[in-house]
Amino acid sequence: MPGTMDSPSNGSPVLEARGLAMRFEAPEGRISLFENLDVSIAAGDSLAILGTSGSGKSTLLGLLAGLDLPSGGTVTLDGHDLTTMDEDERASLRSGRVGFVFQAFHLLPGLTALENVMLPAELAGDTDARRKATHALEQVGLAGRVAHYPAQLSGGEQQRVAIARAFISEPRILFADEPTGNLDHRTGEQIIELLFNLNRDYGTTLILVTHDQAVARRCAHVRYLREGALAREAG
Amino acid sequence: MLSLRLLYRDWRGGELRLLALALVIAVAAVTGVSWLADRVAGATEARAADLLAADRAVEYPEPIPDAWQARAEADGLDTARIAVFPTVVLTESANRLVSAKAVTDGYPLRGSLRIQPAAGAAEQQPPGIPEPGTAWLESRLLGLLDLEVGETITLGARDLRVAAILSFEPDRGQGFGSLAPRVMFNHADLESTELLGPGSRVRHKLLLAGDQAVVAQFTDRLAAEQGNAVEIERPSEQGRGAAEVIEQAKRFLGLAALLTVIVAGVAVLLTVRHYAERQITGVAVMRAMGATRRQVLQLFVGKLLWLGLFAGAVGAALGYILHLAMLSLVAELLGAELPPAGIRPLLTGWLTSAAALLGFALPTLVRLRDAPPMRVLRQDLGSGLLRAGVPLLVAALVILGLMAWQAGDVRVTLSVFGAVAATLAILAAVAAAIVLGARAWSRRGGQRRLLWLTGFTRRPLTAIIQIVAVGVGLMSLFLLAVVRNDLLSAWQAEIPPDAPNQFLINIQSDEVEGVRTTLADAGMETVFYPMVRARLTALNGEPVRAQDYDSAQARRLARREFNLSWTSRLQADNRILAGEWWGDQPDPAPQLSVETEFAEEIGVEMGDRLTFSSGGGSVTAEVTSLREVRWESFNVNFFVLATPGTLDELPRTWLTSFYLPPQNTAVLNELIREYPSVTPIDVSSVLRIVRTIIDQGSSVVELMALLTLAAGVLVLLAALQITGEQRRFESALLRALGASGRRIRAMARLEFWVIGAIAGGLAGLAATGAGVVVAEVLFDLDYPFRPMTLLAGASVGLITVWAAGALGARRYYRASPMRLLREGG
Repeated sequence: MPGTMDSPSNGSPVLEARGLAMRFEAPEGRISLFENLDVSIAAGDSLAILGTSGSGKSTLLGLLAGLDLPSGGTVTLDGHDLTTMDEDERASLRSGRVGFVFQAFHLLPGLTALENVMLPAELAGDTDARRKATHALEQVGLAGRVAHYPAQLSGGEQQRVAIARAFISEPRILFADEPTGNLDHRTGEQIIELLFNLNRDYGTTLILVTHDQAVARRCAHVRYLREGALAREAG
Repeated sequence: MLSLRLLYRDWRGGELRLLALALVIAVAAVTGVSWLADRVAGATEARAADLLAADRAVEYPEPIPDAWQARAEADGLDTARIAVFPTVVLTESANRLVSAKAVTDGYPLRGSLRIQPAAGAAEQQPPGIPEPGTAWLESRLLGLLDLEVGETITLGARDLRVAAILSFEPDRGQGFGSLAPRVMFNHADLESTELLGPGSRVRHKLLLAGDQAVVAQFTDRLAAEQGNAVEIERPSEQGRGAAEVIEQAKRFLGLAALLTVIVAGVAVLLTVRHYAERQITGVAVMRAMGATRRQVLQLFVGKLLWLGLFAGAVGAALGYILHLAMLSLVAELLGAELPPAGIRPLLTGWLTSAAALLGFALPTLVRLRDAPPMRVLRQDLGSGLLRAGVPLLVAALVILGLMAWQAGDVRVTLSVFGAVAATLAILAAVAAAIVLGARAWSRRGGQRRLLWLTGFTRRPLTAIIQIVAVGVGLMSLFLLAVVRNDLLSAWQAEIPPDAPNQFLINIQSDEVEGVRTTLADAGMETVFYPMVRARLTALNGEPVRAQDYDSAQARRLARREFNLSWTSRLQADNRILAGEWWGDQPDPAPQLSVETEFAEEIGVEMGDRLTFSSGGGSVTAEVTSLREVRWESFNVNFFVLATPGTLDELPRTWLTSFYLPPQNTAVLNELIREYPSVTPIDVSSVLRIVRTIIDQGSSVVELMALLTLAAGVLVLLAALQITGEQRRFESALLRALGASGRRIRAMARLEFWVIGAIAGGLAGLAATGAGVVVAEVLFDLDYPFRPMTLLAGASVGLITVWAAGALGARRYYRASPMRLLREGG
């Protein structure tokens, strides 16, 4: 059925959205970005959401991650209904469970690569943050760049640091927003390779938003967000 | 501890340096002044009890009756007697007006004397008082008389051998008596000097010390028995004059320090806003990664507290050095040993640091906890997060609180705060008018003008903020550097180098012409003033009684004779505040003109009838004007002036004042030989002391001005930092569109010029305006409005902003357009 996406489940879904809707008040009246979307993904599975600019795919990702609240519908993460929680409760739920990789990397400019990776662990009160971060940077092939600041790293290296940061807390679910959007093709491919390898190694659930068909095809499931609805095939 | 680690990382990244510097400067200013005030006040308090040399003193116009002393001793009190009077000491070759002091065994009951057995010898505490037949002299008197220890002086009818140099006495008070050098001798020799005739100006005192309650009981009973005749002195009254001066100086310096805190606060506001803007995305990332609002808040509050602690410590260390520097500048004035530096200023410093951070930084940073986590996906979210309203309001309240704390006076607080707020508002209004006017002009003028003024007019709000911020910094600088200098020289001009340093009093009417001729022959033209010593005996027919007044000063005025004069010509340093000056009219009706502070003290108003009595005669006249007198001119002035003829019933003498060049002292000796009843008073040492106070006091203020200047420069840098990112982006964009680097730099230069010139011009205008107000209202000095300050201000502003802008913004115009664009705007 259109607007619905269910991944074949080998257990209960780690993330489930029902009847998801997002509307905005705009000068020209109320605008509906999407209505009545259903999404479900099982642990360890991967899902790509494809869409054009302005289709609302990033907003959908934010709602699924609990960064914002939908205008309608429910989102259940790890058995917790996000839509009944306030922002701080959602933040606590995200802590250690959810990782992010962003198109703009979003590394803190005043922190070294190592410190950027340490930050989520430090925020969670982990006293072993430095060792874990060092290990994570080794995994993404940046052992020699720990003391570099973001401005001293290439785009691909910055995204590797971001990936290390996302994996340091060994999240159950990883959200990636156009992870290759700011990178050239070749570097993008390397980053995707790294992302899927780690995804496989850690058994992480992956939800990826992209406009790149090739990247999307690496996921077990691909859905298209078009005119406010999710479809299995490109239109 | 995470906040400490994050603070370290911010610091390493250079994020918080301006903020920390602003804090350090604010804390240094406050702690420096606080330490200075504490130690000076501490030294004064410690001396307060010693200032009387007793727990209480009974002053009596006649020699103290033996019965009183016997009764006090029967009550178990320690007693001593002293008698102080002005007289002239003679040697074979010289003479000097001195303040003689006869003391009995036991003096001083509180505090201690110090003497030197010979010139240059070490100071020591004497076992008692001068032996009968000997005297101790202040060392400068030895110099003046060209004497050495062991030689003889003549005091009235008595010869005394100089046995030691008197280097310190605890109860060396203020007033005319304390200006003349001291001769201390044994009370047993007093009678044989034959200086105690009727009408002599001797102050007899019975000093008392012992159990406080017994002392109080004794003096209360004596006061009840003797009424008006005795005056009881308490240590607090002795210390009050000095304590008040110190309290005022403390307030003034406190407010000066506060000006630094406010300017530094502006820098904190600006840097923190800039810092917070750069943190929004980072906070959104943390929130996306699971940090709660509370965690975010704790992180930033923690960072602020750590920063406050470190900046407070560095600032306090700087403040300590500052106070040592200030102490060394005023060392000559303090003389006495100071108590050790206390811990309180350190706390004051940290509290200031905390108040500045909580007041200026926290309200902005608190907003960060609401950074929307969705910003990690949509950069446009959260851009309106930081609002200026609440932080500005909180900053204003904190400034108001700090001012109230420093000034300790609601009226002063509100007027200073009002003045600062009004200045800011006017600066902002004028800046806005100029910027918006330029914008309208450039729009009408089409493309060419638009391009040239783009930065300036496309950022009207930041342009206005920059003008106001830089303007405030420059204004405080101009006020403290330029206007202050003008004020100081205006003040110093009040005491010109040839200000009278000699007074001649007790000149009889038939001696006036002779004295005038003698002085004129020596090249000194003099004016003679008639002087009548009289007591105010009735006010509107009601007798004036000392006990009816609350203040000690009023009681003293009511009890004692003071000096009156008459004239038809009002001196330049007098100003009529109420009523009219009688002027040159022939045979005016008897009228009086009363000095305002005296009138207030005694409770005299326009139209009151005052009765003065002296030597059996008495005169009554109506008050027809109130006068303000600038006493600091050191000219001869009187509390009460009468129309010529009014005081004819009362005995009068004459006095004159003149400047005696140091090489001309022979004239004075000649005069005194010829007219033995004439008393010379040498005030050159007082003038020297006053000049020293002005010089040293102004050096302290200068140090404070340096700190305010530093804070002002920080504001300038902070203002540049704010627009730095925007400049970087604009520059990259313009380059990408084909503008040459030269063109871009020229545009930036024009913008700096315009902002600097406007800010500097406004600052100069405001500073000279404030200078006029300060001079007229606070110091009662003539200070002309100087339009040149506006031009000078504009030039200084232009150059300062240009230099700082070129340095601060250089990096924004250097990097390649590609890199700039990639880093984003």
